[in-house]
Amino acid sequence: MSTIRVSGLRVRHRRTVALDAVDLDLGPGVHGLLGPNGAGKTSLIRVLATVAQPSAGQVEILGEDVGEPARRGPVRARLGYLPQEFGYYPRFTVREFVAYVAWLKDIPAADVPAAVDLAVRRVGLGDRADAKVRTLSGGMIRRVGIAQAIVNEPDVLLLDEPTAGLDPEQRVEFRALLRELGARATVLVSTHLVEDVAAACTEVTLLDAGRVAYRGTPASLSAVGEASGPDGIGDSPIERGYTAALRAHRAPLEPTR
Amino acid sequence: MSPHRLALTGIGLYARSRTLPLTLALLAGTCAFAAEAAHRTDDVQRAPGWSAPVVALAPLLAAALIGASLYAPSEELDRTAVRPWWPRRLVHLLALSVLACAPTALTVPGDGPAFVAAASLRTLLGCVGVTAAAAVLVGARLSWLPAFCCVGAVHLASGGVRGWAVTVWAWPTRPGQEAGAWLAAGAVFVLGTALHAARGPRPESPRAQGPHRPS
Repeated sequence: MSTIRVSGLRVRHRRTVALDAVDLDLGPGVHGLLGPNGAGKTSLIRVLATVAQPSAGQVEILGEDVGEPARRGPVRARLGYLPQEFGYYPRFTVREFVAYVAWLKDIPAADVPAAVDLAVRRVGLGDRADAKVRTLSGGMIRRVGIAQAIVNEPDVLLLDEPTAGLDPEQRVEFRALLRELGARATVLVSTHLVEDVAAACTEVTLLDAGRVAYRGTPASLSAVGEASGPDGIGDSPIERGYTAALRAHRAPLEPTR
Repeated sequence: MSPHRLALTGIGLYARSRTLPLTLALLAGTCAFAAEAAHRTDDVQRAPGWSAPVVALAPLLAAALIGASLYAPSEELDRTAVRPWWPRRLVHLLALSVLACAPTALTVPGDGPAFVAAASLRTLLGCVGVTAAAAVLVGARLSWLPAFCCVGAVHLASGGVRGWAVTVWAWPTRPGQEAGAWLAAGAVFVLGTALHAARGPRPESPRAQGPHRPS
């Protein structure tokens, strides 16, 4: 069952084409979104989060066409989003910031305190709930961002570089949280860290130059790496699969010498 | 409702996210400054230059404060709100405009010359309109700048100019009763407020400045 359906998606930023002819179908589970810098990962996440509109194509989330403004509200209520930079309100405490996002998500006022407490505890910040956000470390602020993204128990969760700034222990805990969330929701995680994808994702999509270069599972991507033989670049099978899939996608585009 | 509980409600959190308590305190200070300056205009013939701070500077300061309050550091997350933003933006701007106008309208006429109060009100409305439009075009944090430039340029350019047109384009410098100046300032206020309500402040993070911004 698809919760996210994208067809013929095209996104332009002034003269640059960020995404072109992208077709995707995603269902419940944890989906890794990999790709080099400028591949279009953030553009795709922003379109799915309904904060940017495509130049062409159709995006359907939870059965609603989000190209129609009237249908965005109900989708947003069931959607969680962690941008790469979320620009927190410095005067807020962790609890207040997460409560503010709960208000944006239209959670009934009576349910907000419990929802906020649960979200903050799930990211391991229960003991810092009343600390000002500006006093926290970079990794903790990232966890505040994850807490606000899950406060409404979203059916679709979009995370852009969620593990940036987390230490190894926090990343391991975060992967466990991802697996837990992916049991009932569609989670899309954009990352550069292929080991996070190998450890936590059920499916992987590789973007390159605005197009889908590869779709499969982490195991199948690793198999691509193994098949590339000793010439493969990377320290692990999935890293070798990542580079091999990128090269295979680029090969037909490169001019004949 | 206790202040602590109010602080955790949606409206309370929204007010604090836009630093509205600080904005209100500074607006009160600006109004006090305007009232004090207006008292000194009692003897306009003895000190004709005293009307300038009241008519130009105080409304400019108030509009700058209102413009700064439109800034949202987390605008990328704000755009994922379930409810449309335009009613909140409209209420925010209108409420602060009324709060800034009320002290001028209520306190100055009884104590000072009525034309000073009328001109102050009109300049305030016009400056809020310019500031709101500037927030959409250049971002909320720099929204004060176009209003300061506009009022400054008009003051410099309108000296000695006569005719009907000057009552319109030089609205920040005209006496309080001129219909053309009121029409121009009112139109600027309505247009700026409508533009801001419809579009919202320009996103200030480079990544969020893409071509498409659904509300």
